Amino acid sequence: MTNHVLEDRASATTTATSSDTKGGGPAARRRRSWLRRDETLGAWVLLAPYTILFLVAAAIPIGYAFAISLQKAPTLVNPNSGFGGLDSFATVVGDYRFWSTFINIFTLMAIWLPIMIVGIVALALLIHASPGRFGGAMRFVYYIPGALGGIANFVLWVYLIDPVNSPIAFLWQGMGASTYKEVITPGNMPFILTAMLFFQGIGTWIVVVNGGLNGISDEVLEAARIDGANAWQLAWHVKLPLIRPWVGYAALMNLAYGFQLFLEPYLLRQISSGSVVAEWAPTQLGYAFAFTNRNFPAAAALSIILLLITLGIGMIIVTRSGLFGDEARTRPTRAQRKERRTA
Amino acid sequence: MTRVSDVPRVVGSHRWNAGRIARIVVMVVIAAGFILPIVGFIALAFGSQENIESGASGFLNLGGMSWENVVYSWNQITGFGPGDGGLFQQWMINSAIVSVGGAALALVAGIPAGYAFARLRFRFRKAFLMATLLAMVMPNTVLVIPIFLEVNAVNAVGQLWPVAVIMGFYPFGVYLAYIHFMTTMPHELVEAARIDGLSELRTFFEIALPISKQAIALVAFFSFVANWTNFFLPLALLTSSQQNKTISIGIQELIGASPLFNATVAAGLDVKLYLPQLALATVISMVPLLAMFIGAQRFLVRGQTIGAVKG
Repeated sequence: MTNHVLEDRASATTTATSSDTKGGGPAARRRRSWLRRDETLGAWVLLAPYTILFLVAAAIPIGYAFAISLQKAPTLVNPNSGFGGLDSFATVVGDYRFWSTFINIFTLMAIWLPIMIVGIVALALLIHASPGRFGGAMRFVYYIPGALGGIANFVLWVYLIDPVNSPIAFLWQGMGASTYKEVITPGNMPFILTAMLFFQGIGTWIVVVNGGLNGISDEVLEAARIDGANAWQLAWHVKLPLIRPWVGYAALMNLAYGFQLFLEPYLLRQISSGSVVAEWAPTQLGYAFAFTNRNFPAAAALSIILLLITLGIGMIIVTRSGLFGDEARTRPTRAQRKERRTA
Repeated sequence: MTRVSDVPRVVGSHRWNAGRIARIVVMVVIAAGFILPIVGFIALAFGSQENIESGASGFLNLGGMSWENVVYSWNQITGFGPGDGGLFQQWMINSAIVSVGGAALALVAGIPAGYAFARLRFRFRKAFLMATLLAMVMPNTVLVIPIFLEVNAVNAVGQLWPVAVIMGFYPFGVYLAYIHFMTTMPHELVEAARIDGLSELRTFFEIALPISKQAIALVAFFSFVANWTNFFLPLALLTSSQQNKTISIGIQELIGASPLFNATVAAGLDVKLYLPQLALATVISMVPLLAMFIGAQRFLVRGQTIGAVKG
């Protein structure tokens, strides 16, 4: 898909520049600039609905949150909040729960991300090594849990972590747990969340990475086979390096996803009768600031912090992964094409 | 392990060596690990709490399934709420309203925007496209609190329409449309239309739009699914109004009313919501997604092949 974009883009720019530079007196130039004005106007008319939504759902909320984050928190004595500078950011960072939410997320990432990435790559390679109906069927089966979005996946896990009736109850009983409260402990949280996120997320990413694998040309694989590579060497030395951009993309997207985790820890708290804290993840802390403390400046400040983190990760994804043809640095894809050509 | 090098280019050769068997066994075992919990969960929706507690349901509850159980559980779920209940149905309707509304907006905004990004030249094109890509890869819950503050400022918290409007902002849809026009509509076609004197708008409506069925189906499908399963946005905007909840946060309320997790709340209710009832509510809530999936399957498969075309 991305190669298409790149090549298309390349041809698009050449036609554009050639028609721009090709001859023409002042009259022709005037006509062209008039045409360009028409094109610009048309573009913005077509973009109008999207631009409005972009403003309403992204730009204005961000700007507004930033403005609010710079206000003083209202108190009972003084309900009128005025300009407070960076006070709210100090409140958030100084909150006793702030660092623990990030430690929780990093602990989860340390366990979940490696398992996730290895799982995605291994299953995608296994599927790619199984052409025909069997591989297709397996890809479909691996995708099914991903179709259970959000709350459905959670209720499924409510069933699975039931220490009495779950099909994997022996696991929980082996740990000495006989109630939900004893299964969902702070120490178990990263592992339960890892299982939930893995189950829900892996299918989609297998399809994405598999798309990357399908982009490897037959000639490359054939050449490696003729050189005597076995299935394992083929996967490790040929396929894996070629799908690096997709693996990097998956890793970064999942990393960004980790910072916005909300539903799972929020609901696990609900079914654990309070054995895990209400502010396990940063988003939950933001939710608490907004809805429990009604401290909107602090909630806004925390949102801005999370926004900057995910924005940073997003910038890396868009500009460095090589998967977004238009704006991206195209190095990985170009290298890939070169490799293909020389192979 | 030496399967491929031993038999080069023999398509469909079935040599059962150790490597091949190991690969197939591993893949089937993993598939079972993915499927069995879901089978057990669906069977649970057809089960009853008594059978499960007494262990009469057997492995994965497959032995305890009956239609009477479903009828009983359905009455429990739909009996939830003030008076005669009926909140569950209302939540499903609300989800349908915001999901369809959001998907319709995503289409109206996304398809022309994708076309403009792909085929027109204008100032700030690159910057705007970049912002769209960024918004696409960023997790959407990061913006929920800022959006709540905005909606709160216009006193619209608890109403459905702001949820649908926010859901209508779907940068991934713009990206899909952008890729679609990049790959299916050559630049020359736009130039030709211009030379024929067509305005930019007519070029879009008369030439680009008729060939974008595929993009429309994909954007509608993905945005509907994302809207239906969205949790944090309705939680922040709709929790204050029980009647206006969507199904995702409604199921959360059902969990909170289960005697398994909150004996105090559950004791005050006429209905009993144990795991079979929660599972049935969840399975029913997935039906619209299944219907959409079946409806869009044709396009999804084709979309995948487009993605897989070698560059």
